[in-house]
Amino acid sequence: MAALLPPLGLATPWLLWLLPLALLPLLLSVTRRSAVSSVAAAPEDPLSSGLRIALTAAGMLAIGGLVLALAGPYRAGERVTRTGIGAQISMLIDRSGSMNETFAGRQPSGAEESKAAASRRILRDFVGERAHDQFAVTAFSTAPMLVVPMTDRHDAVRAAVAAIDRPGLDYTNVARGLGMALSQFGAGTPGVSRALLLVSDGAAVIDPRIQAQLRAEFTKVQPNLYWLFLRTKGSPSITDKPAGEDTPQAAPERHLDLFFRSLGVPYRAFEAEGADAVANAVRQIEALERDPIPYTEERPRRDLTGWAYALAALGLLLLVLAKLAETDFVRTSARASSKRPADPAPANGQAAAVSKRAAA
Amino acid sequence: MSVWAELPFAKNLRDRRFQALAAALLLAALAIVVPPLPLTRSGVSVLAVVDITGSMNVRDYASGGRPASRLDTVKAALRHLLPELPCGSRLALALFTERRPFLLFAPVEVCADFAPLDGAIAALDWRMAWEGDSRISSGLHRAVAMAGELDTDLLFITDGQETPPLPANGIPPFEGRAGAVRGLIVGAGGYSLSPIPKFNDRGRETGFYAETDVQQENRFGPPPADAESREGYNPRNAPFGGAAARGEEHLSSVREPHLKALAAQTGLAYAHLDGPDLRAPLLAAATPRPVPGRLDPRPFLGAAALALVLAVFLAGALRARFTLFTPSRMS
Repeated sequence: MAALLPPLGLATPWLLWLLPLALLPLLLSVTRRSAVSSVAAAPEDPLSSGLRIALTAAGMLAIGGLVLALAGPYRAGERVTRTGIGAQISMLIDRSGSMNETFAGRQPSGAEESKAAASRRILRDFVGERAHDQFAVTAFSTAPMLVVPMTDRHDAVRAAVAAIDRPGLDYTNVARGLGMALSQFGAGTPGVSRALLLVSDGAAVIDPRIQAQLRAEFTKVQPNLYWLFLRTKGSPSITDKPAGEDTPQAAPERHLDLFFRSLGVPYRAFEAEGADAVANAVRQIEALERDPIPYTEERPRRDLTGWAYALAALGLLLLVLAKLAETDFVRTSARASSKRPADPAPANGQAAAVSKRAAA
Repeated sequence: MSVWAELPFAKNLRDRRFQALAAALLLAALAIVVPPLPLTRSGVSVLAVVDITGSMNVRDYASGGRPASRLDTVKAALRHLLPELPCGSRLALALFTERRPFLLFAPVEVCADFAPLDGAIAALDWRMAWEGDSRISSGLHRAVAMAGELDTDLLFITDGQETPPLPANGIPPFEGRAGAVRGLIVGAGGYSLSPIPKFNDRGRETGFYAETDVQQENRFGPPPADAESREGYNPRNAPFGGAAARGEEHLSSVREPHLKALAAQTGLAYAHLDGPDLRAPLLAAATPRPVPGRLDPRPFLGAAALALVLAVFLAGALRARFTLFTPSRMS
């Protein structure tokens, strides 16, 4: 039953304590009083009692309506789940110090753009390009930092992306960052496209113990993994084999890539050596992540105050008309009533009730 | 119909109660059609910097009858503050540890983006710290500069415990202009000393810091003035005296004198965090910024209409009382 009724509410419910004032018209009338020696002298008159009831009701409606309007009635907002095109994207952004250098590995000077500034500019355009994408932002250096949890409020995500070209911290500890970025997906709904976007300019050795944990997490969450590797000119590529021993310590980028390949989730690495390459990679990711996603739409609450004022205005209108048509109990009406003895007095209960007395 | 012609319209129109009812009707009708009035309210734009160093894990607050850590209390206070700020206010969030603030996100509007803001504050954790030092003075100076860059006021929440302790020559000089950025330093923590929890490298609590676990005296820079009177003092080999420093740096309380000195140095206000209310001290210290607001005039119209209608009904009762035995009006 409750489900059928639209949920109603009041903005300031305590004002309803004034509602008993609406009983006032039962005791008092807005019309002028006339002294009558005996009301019993007048016969029962259905029209008069009808008018009296109508005027009392109008008074109650006016007061009750105004009190209700002051309390601010509304119909509560709803959350409607719809389906759009988009994905849940957990961004994991490297905030280590080297991100503040240019792609050439120098401190930016003049018109040069640091890696962080370039990714900030491009990711900012990426966020909000599609209305139903959801984003979470995690930053990492030595420790992972949850910046913004999974949300569809793109303004907040853009504010988080805006902060990524501030001076970075110490090291690149990617393993714990991955763990936190994965935890952003939550239980979620099945069938939603999930993407983990790692933006970094370096890699680090992942502790074998943590490797096993991460592997289990990736299997559970099953995200699409994208690694946007901002390569500094002259530094080893993902695919380069080191000249000497091929260990994770010697070539962390290559081994992180190998680890990602071994996870069994859809994985793509983009190696970008400049801002254009970054923009190109982001466009490709956007094109790949095109799946239906359920999203909730908030239907705002509907204000019903206007209707309460309309009710009050209706009651007031009746009272005003009654006051306008009010007639006094005047002696000269003896002449009028002798002409039309059966004529009921106009729109005023009291006047009608006592009209007979004039003849007496 | 002649009935209408006989009604005493002129008299009815002069009737005060008719006029009052007509005015009430007009007000109610106006309330149906009138749109909200645009107006400018004052909001705030704040960079909140939260200290997440180890001493913020001290449990010297209580929440629901159980001990609560300073960081948890600060988070609760910030989450309590968020819905109390006027819509249009903006909040940026930064962490503090080591010697500088780390900006998590640029200023965000507090009403429309409430959910992510609330989630981000709830997720603050001491494990986000990238280093263990807690050089509050440098952190505050840089936070003031950051707030200046973002064009916001500053809300710096800390317990004031410097790790390592300040050198003998005191607070480092402030390079900015005092008072150029307005804001508030909030001191978190109790006034009595409490032990600081210790965590292992997997983040599990393993006890409390002991006296020998932490640096008790900063022995960089020139020695203090009283060093010569110390046991075993030697100007070249033991300028700080011969004994290991002893002290209470392994225990923590809110360092109010230090924070007040920092507030005076940087031109900020100071408030102690007692319970969840941050709103009043923040609004007092922050620059009011104009934010667009809307004023709904309907409650005023409705209240006036209600007063008029009630007056009309009650006036009838009063007049009847006074004229009960004076039927002269009829004649």
